[in-house]
Amino acid sequence: MSAAQRPLSVAARATAAASIVLAGFLGLTGFVLNQAFEQSATTALRERLQGYAYTFLAGTDIGVAGRMILPEIMPDPRLDRPGSGLYARLRGGEFNWNSPSGLDRQLPFDEQLAPGEFSFRGPVRSSEGDLYVLGMGIAFLLPGGSEAVFTLHLAEHEAALKAQTRAFRDTLLLLLGTLGVLLLGVLWLSLRWTLQPLRGVAKDLAEVQAGRAPELAGIYPRELAGLTESLNRFIQTERKSLQRYRNTLGDLAHSLKTPLAVLRGLVESEPDDDKLREGTAQQLARMDDIVAYQLARAAKSGHHTFVAPIRIGPIAEEVASGLEKVYASKGALCEFEVDEQAKFRGERGDLLEILGNLLDNAFKWSRGRVLLRVAYLAATERTPRRLQIVVEDDGPGVPNHQLDAVLQRGIRADERVQGHGIGLSIVQDIVQSYQGELAVGRSEELGGARFEITLP
Amino acid sequence: MRVLLVEDEAPLRETLAARLQREGFAVDTAVDGAEGLYMAREVPFDVAIVDLGLPKLSGIDLVRGLREAGRRYPVLILTARGSWQDKVEGLKSGADDYLVKPFHIEELLARMNALVRRSAGWSKPVLECGPLKLDTTAQQVLVNDDVVELTSYEYKVLEYLVLHAGELVSKTDLTEHIYEQDFDRDSNVIEVFVGRLRKKLDPNGDLKPIETVRGRGYRFALPRTV
Repeated sequence: MSAAQRPLSVAARATAAASIVLAGFLGLTGFVLNQAFEQSATTALRERLQGYAYTFLAGTDIGVAGRMILPEIMPDPRLDRPGSGLYARLRGGEFNWNSPSGLDRQLPFDEQLAPGEFSFRGPVRSSEGDLYVLGMGIAFLLPGGSEAVFTLHLAEHEAALKAQTRAFRDTLLLLLGTLGVLLLGVLWLSLRWTLQPLRGVAKDLAEVQAGRAPELAGIYPRELAGLTESLNRFIQTERKSLQRYRNTLGDLAHSLKTPLAVLRGLVESEPDDDKLREGTAQQLARMDDIVAYQLARAAKSGHHTFVAPIRIGPIAEEVASGLEKVYASKGALCEFEVDEQAKFRGERGDLLEILGNLLDNAFKWSRGRVLLRVAYLAATERTPRRLQIVVEDDGPGVPNHQLDAVLQRGIRADERVQGHGIGLSIVQDIVQSYQGELAVGRSEELGGARFEITLP
Repeated sequence: MRVLLVEDEAPLRETLAARLQREGFAVDTAVDGAEGLYMAREVPFDVAIVDLGLPKLSGIDLVRGLREAGRRYPVLILTARGSWQDKVEGLKSGADDYLVKPFHIEELLARMNALVRRSAGWSKPVLECGPLKLDTTAQQVLVNDDVVELTSYEYKVLEYLVLHAGELVSKTDLTEHIYEQDFDRDSNVIEVFVGRLRKKLDPNGDLKPIETVRGRGYRFALPRTV
């Protein structure tokens, strides 16, 4: 795959997704926090202004002479300082008092409020800048028993509030930004850590490829164990079949060497033409046998990990009816005692080789009757249920002293007696590869040979 | 006996054809499956030898095709891969026997003879009709245990008649089964052969082994001894 087509790496995907989520989350948090802070800062401002108002009113009264007495000390020194940003005005009827800070300034203090009424506005634009204005309606009891109505206004410039919220926002941004960066960093590190085993597998696989390691040797997390075990199984199967090819090739080459040597000897030193021809024919037949054997061995697979079990009945039927045709001149017939449910857990080709070779052998020797029996052997305490395939014929049978020779136990392929049924040794090879057993004996029912295969 | 040989490998095809001709077969050859199937349908062969691995049309499809076309003569398949999968597949498609390459030509001849005999209803390699014995393996004819010397064409005619003993065999049947495709056919030759056969088999004229069915053909009249 070229770099252009390669999809985004897992780490990049995870980081991108996390960045988006994080940005959204932190942004929203920042916004909400900022709103809340502004609100509480405004509330604090209002309460402060209210506090000033009460303090101011506590020092204010109407004298016996009917004159307004104002507090000597202002609740906040800024009220005495012109243009300080904190202003006050008390007004009612003819009376109009402005704090020294607000003298001769245009302030938005026009509202008239009934006694007990409050108002809070802001920011209000004025010539003194944006102000937060608190209004309060007050009634004073006059000596005559009547009431005088006043409105007290207090205003503060928004600058202080602004500065406060700006400072808060700056801090917030800094904090959230740092947090975001930190989180992303942690995420990236944890991703690297999470993906570490995958990189390990890739590295180990490269080692295997380079031939420096026999298999994926590391211990991998549970989630990857399935994958690495499959990979290891695959590597082993590959290696085994490679080994098998090598062995087969070696066997083939070695076993052809002997007849070749004999041929060379004949050609170089045999003076008699007839003997030369006869010798050559013999060696050719031998080479033919060797090639046929190795070819048949190549046909069998020996792999049976993942195949679906196949029903034996129909396949046996095919083989037997084919052979009945081939041996029609004998009039030989194959009797069936086949369990309908019997299934072979392996390759179809292997089953065909087993049945074909055994039945062909039986037909060849029989005088007219061949019996095929397929059944399950019930499980015993020591062994689980096993499949049994028995082929019997009514031919001459195998003499007792040759039983071992027929199977040629423990004899290497290229050392087997020539012309003695390549078929049987193939059956033996296949049965062995399925961890089964092949036994030869005498048929009690038909009197001829009896071949019995038991498969797990 | 007329035989169809379908084999794509030239050296094998030519050696086999030459040997079969020496053995007295009329041999027609085809080099691929399509040509083989065409000939198999058109010509009344006595036996066909078909390689399984053929270009254009596989041997299996060829055999299936000729069986579907109603041709009943025996078919022997040749396979290079001796696996049972191939053999069973071939026999299922309609073949009667198989041989795994490489094989001895003698083995092939024996199998072919057996197939032809079987399809004509004979079970033993020596065909017996009363005092006449025809040994298909040795290609020898005996009457009352005396050897009768025959030429190769005389033998072919007699073999075909004896194989189908009791059946009517037309002159066309005889020419078609004795000569190859491109042979210049002259039915008078058959009459000459039959005349000579009568003289050689029955010099005294008391056996009358070959009947002439006027205008239709011949019938081998001696009853089969099975």
